[in-house]
Amino acid sequence: MNKLFKNDEFLIFDGSMGVLLQKYGLKIGELPESYNIKYPEIVSNIHKSYIAAGADVIITNTFGASRYKLKDSGYGVGEIVKSSLDIARKAAGDKLIALDIGPIGQLMEPYGTLSFQDAYDAFAEQIVEGAYAADMILIETMSDIYEVKAAVLAAKENSSLPVICTMTFQADGRTLTGTDPITMVNILSHLGVDALGVNCSLGPKEMIPVLAEILKYSSVPVIVQPNAGLPALVDGKTIFNISPESFGKYMAEMAGMGASMLGGCCGTNPDHIRALKEAVTGLKPKRPRVEKLTAASSATATAVIGEGIKIIGERINPTGKVKLKEALKNDDMDYLLKEAIAQRDAGAHILDVNVGLPEIDEKEIMVKAVKQIQGIVNLPLQLDSTNPDVIEAAARIYNGRPIINSVNGEKKTMDKIFPIVKKYGCLVVALTLDEKGIPEKAEDRLKIAERIVRRAEEFGIDREDIIVDCLVLTASAQQKEVQETIKAAALVKERLGLRTTLGVSNVSFGLPDRELLNRTFLTMALASGLDAPIINPMAEDMMNAIKAYNVLRNIDKDAKEYIASRSSTTVSTAVKEKETVRDLTKIIIDGMKEEAAPMVRQLLSNHEGIDIVDNYLIPALDIVGQKYESGEIFLPQLIQSAETVKNAFNAIKEHILQNAGEGSGVSKGKVVIATVKGDIHDIGKNIVKILLENYGFQVFDLGKDVETEEIVKKVRREKAALVGLSALMTTTVKSMEETIKALRKHCPDIRVMVGGAVLNADYAKMIGADFYGKDAREAVKITRKFYGCE
Amino acid sequence: MNIDKKEVLRYLGYRGQKIDDSLAGLLDECVSEVRTVSNLGFTYEIYDIEGNEEGLCLKGTTLILRGRDIHSNLAKAEKCAVMAVTLGLEVDRRIDFYTRADLTKGLIFDACATAAVESCCDIVQEEIKARAKIMGLETTSRFSPGYGDFYIGIQKEIVRALKTYEKIGLSVNESSIMIPRKSVTAIIGMQNEGCDTVECKCGSCEDKYCSYRRDRDYE
Repeated sequence: MNKLFKNDEFLIFDGSMGVLLQKYGLKIGELPESYNIKYPEIVSNIHKSYIAAGADVIITNTFGASRYKLKDSGYGVGEIVKSSLDIARKAAGDKLIALDIGPIGQLMEPYGTLSFQDAYDAFAEQIVEGAYAADMILIETMSDIYEVKAAVLAAKENSSLPVICTMTFQADGRTLTGTDPITMVNILSHLGVDALGVNCSLGPKEMIPVLAEILKYSSVPVIVQPNAGLPALVDGKTIFNISPESFGKYMAEMAGMGASMLGGCCGTNPDHIRALKEAVTGLKPKRPRVEKLTAASSATATAVIGEGIKIIGERINPTGKVKLKEALKNDDMDYLLKEAIAQRDAGAHILDVNVGLPEIDEKEIMVKAVKQIQGIVNLPLQLDSTNPDVIEAAARIYNGRPIINSVNGEKKTMDKIFPIVKKYGCLVVALTLDEKGIPEKAEDRLKIAERIVRRAEEFGIDREDIIVDCLVLTASAQQKEVQETIKAAALVKERLGLRTTLGVSNVSFGLPDRELLNRTFLTMALASGLDAPIINPMAEDMMNAIKAYNVLRNIDKDAKEYIASRSSTTVSTAVKEKETVRDLTKIIIDGMKEEAAPMVRQLLSNHEGIDIVDNYLIPALDIVGQKYESGEIFLPQLIQSAETVKNAFNAIKEHILQNAGEGSGVSKGKVVIATVKGDIHDIGKNIVKILLENYGFQVFDLGKDVETEEIVKKVRREKAALVGLSALMTTTVKSMEETIKALRKHCPDIRVMVGGAVLNADYAKMIGADFYGKDAREAVKITRKFYGCE
Repeated sequence: MNIDKKEVLRYLGYRGQKIDDSLAGLLDECVSEVRTVSNLGFTYEIYDIEGNEEGLCLKGTTLILRGRDIHSNLAKAEKCAVMAVTLGLEVDRRIDFYTRADLTKGLIFDACATAAVESCCDIVQEEIKARAKIMGLETTSRFSPGYGDFYIGIQKEIVRALKTYEKIGLSVNESSIMIPRKSVTAIIGMQNEGCDTVECKCGSCEDKYCSYRRDRDYE
């Protein structure tokens, strides 16, 4: 096994299995792994031919041996995996065996319907069956970094074998799901893989730029397994046609760049591997030294802290935010998402996510929030909780490399948080406080930071993975200590070489014109070396201060971004001036989304919220509905009006929250809606949702691909009387039927309304629904009638 | 990639209504954004057809095409191309994003993406037609799983045979839904003589009340 990581020798992997199996009669579409059982001697001969060609490692014939790919094949995972290892073991002699793990072949949530846990379980099954006789685990040809994370965790939690990971990149330098090399390296190397690299898709020549990027960042050995050139279609068949000599030449070039594990993928045969072996004979691997980065990653974007100023958006945190509290209590993920989107659009680089409220299940909501946000916004997340269980659950399902907020100098906190940081390869914010509180003096805060670093290193965490927060105190209560924070940040930077963060807006608490103090403090802190301020990105003053700082500090070269940001400000004022006052009904009919809320706020000064709903919103909606039905307007225009009403509604709700506290006060009845299990089409459902909300119903939207149990649970919890289900495909109407059955069983009084492209009234009746809504307007009519609003 | 605005409007249920400047602007914006963010992927293979009692078998593969409609579409075909096209995952991401952030835009964006994937299919179909011509063959119209009685479950088998997940990132879930969503699989027959199979166009469908039906033109 030691041979795997010998620094002075290349490790040669074998080439394609599929191409050779096809030569021996494997049909297109036939399961290659079935040959392990049907024709073990063929598989064995292929292994032997690669060993004869010079391979040090043979890869088991288990690329597609997951329970999903084997479904309907008549073979079990254990059977296929064990047989392949038996064959490999007998053929290998003193050579090494890599247990091959390919992609499951289905896209994961939220785009597909495969959950992280399901992917993990499938990989774990393959690993448990195969680890006994393998020398390493090769997770390969991956396009989706989220799937790789599931596979790596499955490998590490179910075996002690070394883990090697390869992903496959397109010519644009990203994987099919959008991951670039720096993001891949940042996530995987910190998850603790033993080697990583690139395979398949590209020929060796096209792979060179991707390899160069990987080598720039990777501190673990790098593997390359190119195809035998780019695929070409000859006589209607795909072939690869680079010669073994040319393959060998390119492989030697890549070895020279720093790749130390070399092999072939699609289209390569023992001749290619022989040429590769010959081409690198006499060469020695070189391992380029790389600089360690302090970088957080989402699946598709990496924010390097220390390169320019990185803004951490603080808005997703219920402390002091009435609307967010209300949204969290009502499970209203759309509100969180809008906050996430707004912060991204305002220029945040990283988003802090904190959902801690005493009255909710923080773990459940945190996991849900992270899943939702990572599906919509591609910024790295900072997972913020005081509860280690919540942090671990979120770090596990996070699709990327998160920052954990936070650890501090208390031993018991460190001993709980650091194992999570290490296991999931996170960054961590270190607060300079301990059992005794926050020290007054900068020097004492530095000491705590030093202690945290030392302890982290004992857990195997690099110092680069720690971002220090020297803690901002309020100028109103502890004026003297404000500058100690700034001094401490500068000390941490200078003495420990660590990156720093600060929650800036604390400083102004209890004083007037907080923005002015915040902005001034921010500028002072930036000048002293603050790398990642935690601020409200929607506070224009703060963002402007950073933009100006970037010019003066020579970060924003030629002041390009600054100049661009100044010119766009002028444009938006110009547009504003053109706006004229209009009547609310007309605003709704014309779908002038932005004008609704200001107009409603004006009306609220002398109208009750409910009066505005009944006297303005609903009458206007009825007019719009009639226009739609008569064909005077079409769907996008209907939706534009609906969004306008929604904005009006939100302004009313906000008003009620501010004046009366809890509850929306205008609900006309509850409706739970969902796109059923297995189905991912939700535009129709979203249209129904907005129209129902427009008419004053409280809608609980469970999203798409929703488990039956989750629907039942929600109906019970909210004591809703009506459920709306959507399914677009004939294949998913079946799961709609099952959902209705379960609802009847557990909630006998429930009424069910269904809709979707393949349904009609008869079909709806057949599957046991009470109502069929042929379109969203019909769904509104049914609901209004049901709740006696007409 | 050509996105026909008339097609987009048809998917949106357009029936000649007046469109104001802001909506027209949004439509243009979506058309151009779909073009920019699409990561077009396609793949196809050409197989000989061997009919037997089970259905139409594609030589050298495990694919068997079953059903009356695909049979009549390929009645005279000796070969067929099996194709798969996808706009990629970023289009799905944007649809999810806009349907949350701006539903009107989400709706229009979705329709533009549908028009885009259809137009990409046309391009691939032209390429297949050109290949057929070299072989001295004519092509039939494009026929997709889910048309008529052509079993939608075959999508899984097509995806496996063409290795679409590995090549272009196209997968099929357990409910036979293709992901990324803006994707198409189809069969195109290749035959000796001119194609006299009925063009399987929208207007010939049995669902006369479908709101997407292409029966009138609106400028």
